[in-house]
Amino acid sequence: MSAIHPSELTFIIRHAPFDSMELEHVMWMLERMHLAYYAQGEIIASPEQGEATRMWVIKQGVVLGEQSVAKASDSDTWLELMEGECFPLGALLAKRRVASIYRAGSDTFCYELAAADFHTLLGMSAPFRDFCTRRIANLLEHSKHVIQAEFSHSSAEQQSLASPLSAIIRRAPVTCAPDTTVQAALEIMREQRIGSMVATDQQGHPLGILTLHDVLERVAIPQIDTAQAVINIMSTELSSLPPHALAHEAALLMARRGFRHVLVVEEHKLIGLLSEKDLFALQRVGLRQIGSTIRHADTPEVLQQAAADIRHMAHNMMAQGVAPEQLTQFISTFNDLLTARVVELECAAACPSGDPLHESICWMALGSEGRLEQTLKTDQDNAIIFKVPEGMTANQVREKLLPLARRINETLDRCGFPLCKGEIMASNPKWCLSREEWQEVFTKWVDSGAPESLLHATIFFDFRALYGAEYLVEQLRAWLTDHVRGNQRFLHQMAANSLRNRPPLGIVRDFIVGQGNTIDLKLNGITPFVDAARIFSLATGVGKTNTVQRLRASAAALRVPATEVEAWINAFLFIQMLRLRHHYEEASAQLPDGETRHLDNRIDPAQLNELDRRILKEAFRQARKVQAKLALDYQL
Amino acid sequence: MKRLLKRWFATPARLPPAQAARLAAWQDAAPAVLSTPFAQARYVVVDVETTGLNLLTDTLISIGAVAVVGGRISLADSFSVVLQQDRVSRRENILIHGISGTVQREGAPPADALLDFLAYLGKSPLVAFHAALDEAMIRRAMRQYLNLSFKHPWLDLAYLMPALYPALARNHRVLDDWTGRFGIHNAARHDALADAMVTAQLLQVALVQARLKHVPDFSALRDLEKSAAPGFPA
Repeated sequence: MSAIHPSELTFIIRHAPFDSMELEHVMWMLERMHLAYYAQGEIIASPEQGEATRMWVIKQGVVLGEQSVAKASDSDTWLELMEGECFPLGALLAKRRVASIYRAGSDTFCYELAAADFHTLLGMSAPFRDFCTRRIANLLEHSKHVIQAEFSHSSAEQQSLASPLSAIIRRAPVTCAPDTTVQAALEIMREQRIGSMVATDQQGHPLGILTLHDVLERVAIPQIDTAQAVINIMSTELSSLPPHALAHEAALLMARRGFRHVLVVEEHKLIGLLSEKDLFALQRVGLRQIGSTIRHADTPEVLQQAAADIRHMAHNMMAQGVAPEQLTQFISTFNDLLTARVVELECAAACPSGDPLHESICWMALGSEGRLEQTLKTDQDNAIIFKVPEGMTANQVREKLLPLARRINETLDRCGFPLCKGEIMASNPKWCLSREEWQEVFTKWVDSGAPESLLHATIFFDFRALYGAEYLVEQLRAWLTDHVRGNQRFLHQMAANSLRNRPPLGIVRDFIVGQGNTIDLKLNGITPFVDAARIFSLATGVGKTNTVQRLRASAAALRVPATEVEAWINAFLFIQMLRLRHHYEEASAQLPDGETRHLDNRIDPAQLNELDRRILKEAFRQARKVQAKLALDYQL
Repeated sequence: MKRLLKRWFATPARLPPAQAARLAAWQDAAPAVLSTPFAQARYVVVDVETTGLNLLTDTLISIGAVAVVGGRISLADSFSVVLQQDRVSRRENILIHGISGTVQREGAPPADALLDFLAYLGKSPLVAFHAALDEAMIRRAMRQYLNLSFKHPWLDLAYLMPALYPALARNHRVLDDWTGRFGIHNAARHDALADAMVTAQLLQVALVQARLKHVPDFSALRDLEKSAAPGFPA
């Protein structure tokens, strides 16, 4: 007679969720469970074990969760699990590795249920399923940790200084024959945009190296005859390592010998060239470093490189578990810095400090950039506001500024911010206006309430000063806040317009998918929150442009409880995180073949894991609640 | 006394063919390999309840058993049986075991119960705490009802635990001392299956400690147990 002792049953049904499950399902589970013992200190589950293999229910003892993601500063997030608690539900739902190390804090006995049985039970028992997927806050937490673990895993593999050089060298080295002329060698370097040239013999053995750094001292200053053989001016004392040497060996070699390059040589043949820069790319690119690069950049090329660094760092930050709120602000901040530098360089050329326009123009960011919510997919949305100097007309100023704006737009395009298809750019004469002209345009939109006006309002009313005479923008903001605040008709129209876009949830709370079974995360997920936040802030006179800040700042005046607002914000940020991840995945999938990097916002919910899918549904439900609030306020 | 003599000297009844076939099947199975590493081995932890502690006069009431496979207890792989008694045990014993007279009379016929136990056990080595009592009771029942001389590898945790934890040996003697030390709760003391369960948990602890001490298998555990058993020259 096989027998499960009644005491096992009475133990298990004392604890959630088993207390609310049908007895039949609990028995089904018990029959498939094993009891395991873990001595104090023993690891029960860790990210290194790969996808979570089972659910543990603590029968007796204490299990401690330790953050496995190596954190520089805080040693926080200790999780203490006691008798009757289950783990790791998030990882099991998501079919991913656990995010923490689970360790027995005392002599511990755990019931174990295999992952396959866990999933069968999810399908079988509604109370169990609800328990595992219920609390969005918990789940968000899980999901965040799981994502962190995933990313830090991949970034650890990709970027460790423990990688072999063979994994780091990107392309075949550019070489020349030793008797190439100095002139020819330098031309190749310029054409190929490389910082160094290696001369090899016919067997591919390296003979000498010339770096850009050397050119100044060895070519330009001594004014040598550039028709001579390049080998004459090359360094022939070469530092080389085999391909299986590790990146940190290369770093040490460079540090010791003061070289900026290490040759990767296999059987005396040159197979790669590693620069100091390649190694820096392996380590976390420092914020300060990029910032200072941007501030001191004086050519578009340097800024282009900085734009690439920003994207690279965004990935790193995602790996380090930076929350989407900070991450989007970070991207926006650096994009600001970059844009400001582009504007600054062009302005310095077009209207030097003596020019009457020098102190009276301001470059404005609109749309997502205005809201500090940029992702890796960011079209340009910008405009210029100016003050008409005495003795000039607005048209004269505009005429002078438009070519400048066009150059700025084009440079930004080269830096990875594509031109706006809707022509919402400073180089469009419609959006290069004096303060008075802006006020006229805004007044027209507010008064007309036509669909196009409302659409413009959603983009332009998120304006923010980016470079130049910020006081002009402050004046415009103060004027707009005043002008719109009491205008119920306009706010009502904005609300009605925004409610046309409903979150894609069906009656049974399943997703309604559009083209190709996908959901547009931006249109269906982000926009309801952004729109509502804009209306709330306009209605309550909040001058902020950022969605999260707008929601927080206007909540009190709208009598929305803080917990409710935080639920909205969490939902909004979760969708942002999915977007960022989607962009990141798309960008990395497309990188190998080079050029085209068209990022979209469409995801197929069926491709999401169970956990993310459930949270996304919950997030859309929150979007509905935000819309319900709008509908209530404006009786729609 | 007459009754006792009859029990000891009566020729055991011949088993009906179906039962004989079950017994033969068990006897024919290959014996357990005692050098199987813990990670693959199956051990059966057993606890019996009896009418009393007298090996001569008292009889087996119930057997509870739990399998430890690769260090894990599979909840479904456990066994419990109450043997039909021709005489209900004394009142005080009923109080201890909580097996009422009705249940005792309603239990399974002893030969069937024991054959079920053998089928469950297979040739897996047996483990108990103070194994002598369990072993004696089971052996006698096997001889009486199945005419089987039940020789089986046994391991006694009452001796193994002090050998694995010399520092604890002095003040840990009975099962409750050890289970208390490792925080093992017993939901229903003096219930064969529940006692087998806590004993099995104690075996799980012992197996982890054995691995740390580089004791690889059952036969090595038995050597260790013997070194701690009474009468063994120190």
